[in-house]
Amino acid sequence: MYVIPAVFFVLMFVYFPIGMNFYNSLFKMNSYSDVKTFVGLKHYVNIFQDPIFYTAIKNNVLYAVFSLIFQVGFGMILAILLEGRYVGKKIGSFFRNVLFVPSIISIPAVALLWYFIYNPQMGLLNGLLENIGLGAMKTAWLANPNTAIYSVIMMSQWQYTGYIMILLVVSIQKIPRELYESAEIDGASEFQKAIHITIPSIKSMLVVTSIITIIGAFKLFSEVYIMTGGGPYNTTQVLGTYMYRAAFKFDEMGYGSAVAVVIFIITFAISILQLRSFTDD
Amino acid sequence: MFWLLMLVIIYPLFWMVMNSLKTSTELFVNSFALPETPLFSNYVDAWNMGFANFFFNSALVTVVSVFAIVMLSAFCSYALARLEIRFKKIFLYLIIGGLLLSPQSALIALYRLFDMLNIYNTYFAMIIPYIAFGIPFAVFLMYGYFKEFPEDLEDAARIDGCSTFKIFMKIVLPISKPIVAATAIVSSISTWNEFIFALVFIEDENLITIPVGLSRFKDALTTNWTGMMAGIVIASLPMIIAFLFMSKSFIRGLTAGSVKG
Amino acid sequence: MRKMLSVLMLMFFLLSCFAFAEQVNLKFLHRWTQEPDKSFFDGVARAYEKEHPNVKIDVQAVANDAYKEKIKVMLGTEDAPDVFFTWPGEFTNRFIRAGRVLDITNYMLKDGSLFDYVGSQVIPFLYNGALYGLPYRVDGKIFVYNKEIFKKAGIDNPPATFDEFLVDLDKLSKLGIKPIAFGNSEPWAVSHYIAAINQKSVPEEIWEKDLDPAFGMWTDPGYVEALRIYSELVPYFNDYSNALKHDQTKVAFYQGLNAMAYIEIVEIPTIATDAPEGFFDKIGVFPFPATNGPGDQHYLVGYPEGFVVSANSKHPEEATDFLKFLTGKQTGISELKTFGYFNGIKNMISPEEVQPIVYETAKLVMDSDKMVNWLDSSLHAKIWAVYSVELQKLTDQVTTPEKAMEAVIEAAKKVREEFNQ
Repeated sequence: MYVIPAVFFVLMFVYFPIGMNFYNSLFKMNSYSDVKTFVGLKHYVNIFQDPIFYTAIKNNVLYAVFSLIFQVGFGMILAILLEGRYVGKKIGSFFRNVLFVPSIISIPAVALLWYFIYNPQMGLLNGLLENIGLGAMKTAWLANPNTAIYSVIMMSQWQYTGYIMILLVVSIQKIPRELYESAEIDGASEFQKAIHITIPSIKSMLVVTSIITIIGAFKLFSEVYIMTGGGPYNTTQVLGTYMYRAAFKFDEMGYGSAVAVVIFIITFAISILQLRSFTDD
Repeated sequence: MFWLLMLVIIYPLFWMVMNSLKTSTELFVNSFALPETPLFSNYVDAWNMGFANFFFNSALVTVVSVFAIVMLSAFCSYALARLEIRFKKIFLYLIIGGLLLSPQSALIALYRLFDMLNIYNTYFAMIIPYIAFGIPFAVFLMYGYFKEFPEDLEDAARIDGCSTFKIFMKIVLPISKPIVAATAIVSSISTWNEFIFALVFIEDENLITIPVGLSRFKDALTTNWTGMMAGIVIASLPMIIAFLFMSKSFIRGLTAGSVKG
Repeated sequence: MRKMLSVLMLMFFLLSCFAFAEQVNLKFLHRWTQEPDKSFFDGVARAYEKEHPNVKIDVQAVANDAYKEKIKVMLGTEDAPDVFFTWPGEFTNRFIRAGRVLDITNYMLKDGSLFDYVGSQVIPFLYNGALYGLPYRVDGKIFVYNKEIFKKAGIDNPPATFDEFLVDLDKLSKLGIKPIAFGNSEPWAVSHYIAAINQKSVPEEIWEKDLDPAFGMWTDPGYVEALRIYSELVPYFNDYSNALKHDQTKVAFYQGLNAMAYIEIVEIPTIATDAPEGFFDKIGVFPFPATNGPGDQHYLVGYPEGFVVSANSKHPEEATDFLKFLTGKQTGISELKTFGYFNGIKNMISPEEVQPIVYETAKLVMDSDKMVNWLDSSLHAKIWAVYSVELQKLTDQVTTPEKAMEAVIEAAKKVREEFNQ
């Protein structure tokens, strides 16, 4: 009985839209007209024939990979260093909090900030490069098809690495001191301690943060939409913006719903795989 | 090395506050210079755009939604972690599966649904989807925590004849303050910053929340950039303060919650 | 006693029925969330309510970008506003095709109020011979230039033909600056250039036909020529034009870093407030110069913005009446005083009432035989999606006019097929 209210909410307001998406994906329709034509699986066929769809998936995967490396990987290293008593408690606390703050700020704000950092004319990045003699590397970060998606990806790493790091810090704090003490007696170095004690002990948290990061990578929308709108030349499209474009710019709710279904299936599959290891532990 | 990281994080934030005190022109001429004369009027103007109201609405919606999320999820995840229920695994997967839906996909369906239920353009049009979308992550966090929770205290209470409900309310919940705080913060952040539902499901001027209010600084031809930055600072402060305040219990809560048991 | 009571109740009931039957509630949606426009619209609503005490108007505003989505979502339900903002052209046409917009032809002909409006400003709101909306704010796209810099480069008068333009651009470059401030991070900016050039390079009947998604071929060689003309301008833009916002480049122009910028007339009043002291007195305007193409060289790019009435409105009479008020003379005078905008009513402006440059631009608009729509609002979304990508590539100089048009023709073909299924 405890379970029912929560399940009800989620079923009604989350699964109902998912269901509607499955249903709508079989029609050609838009949001403001009554006309609805049944087209069966045609949308799906078109999706798999569209080169932009593949660009989008590639970008989502890129995003997932980078996020795993930075947010989880680098986050983990930071967490280990912070908890390894290289820094005093007070300072450690200060670092922790500061690194977390970017994840609290809303995305439009972060996007605005980074528009100015990446701005080719008067932005921080190009200015910095100029000053340290790397002026040749200057470019229009968000408008250059070679750098655009990476620029967006790095902005997200700035925002969320602290968030993931904190989750890992908290995991590390739970490891009993004795384990480390006995390793020290055996003459283990800091590095060995980290590899043999710390990392294995936080394995489950690493899995959790990986799940969160990967799901986030595939649900990605606002960052790309605000920063580049999917450009330049559609090189930064991700599944989320691809769907949005179809549904709201092209007025093809049916096609958009089909994309939403595809996203859902992909993330569902990935999550099931990872959840399996989570609950079987 | 850490100091370099600090710089990378703090400098952009400082930059934003600094620029929020400039005129738009100053901003584009040199965004890294200090303001000529700090334009506190940007903050006053932002506030006058209705921030007092936006604040109230955001606060109301956030508090109610988060309270519901935490309560419902706590009950639900405790039950799933402890009690013998049929289809337990299915329910669990179902709820966590709710993590997978992105808000944009749900826009039209929910719009029509709310219209039918007559809650369109009311506080409920925001509160209800926030609860529905917030529950999966909350359950995810709390399930792990409760799974790990030592059963002895509860067993002792059960031997004494307490009902499950009493056990939960009187023993488990009070000790779980950390995870509750953690869940509350995480849910608060996403609710406070939520934009798309608040935009599409609300028309009434009086119900507008902060993120939607912020978007109004942006017009097609001219955007009040520095005013927007002032607004952003105003909007972020409460969450930052709340976080710093709760950071102690937050960290402890997340520990216990997410390590798999 | 009982009888008295029931009679009284009956009377009360009947009376209240009458009272409520008279009361009309209208929902009015516009896209101006910033001041002073926001208060302006509230004022218009209140003024109308004063003259029509039985009407109550609920005014709402949604910011520009969000507006485009929100209105679509709203039009699919019962909550559609009675009177709402729109951009004429394809943006409105697809709503008309879906039966969501009210045909107001008869309302406007009945009392002859149609003829209060300037013809070229009403034409954009026609579809298949019927009238669907009215203009609120007239617009036009022109080059605003810095007279001082022009003089320094040895240019006494703004160019009248494209060849003169190229010569002038060359002279300006010799001063060591990039002559044209151009920020295209949002591609509507380039669509305004192309709208002008396309119209000048392609015979009128052809480009008008091409705008219809069901028939558009886009195969006329004039389109390729248009892109070639555009490419000649590209070297004179500031660097990184695809990465910069329109706003930012305007500020550069105010700072004297560029000699000119291609802007909308409605942006001119803000120059007075946003630019440094004395800048406003240095500026002049000229329309996109004439080319040798087959199009009419006296048309001006710039469609008005306006309002329409929902086809599902429960009070079409009152809604249309409010629409007329909203776009009528009284509001127009107020608009001019408050913002320096003018609406579509005839004979609104006399030279004494406004600053010379505002009068100049008003004349440019009103004297044009016809207005040309912004390219992005006139095209089907799918065609524009491809066109805008090609234009960005062209601006980055990574493609050719021929290849660009090939992609557009391909996209147009797909859309035609959809329409003709």
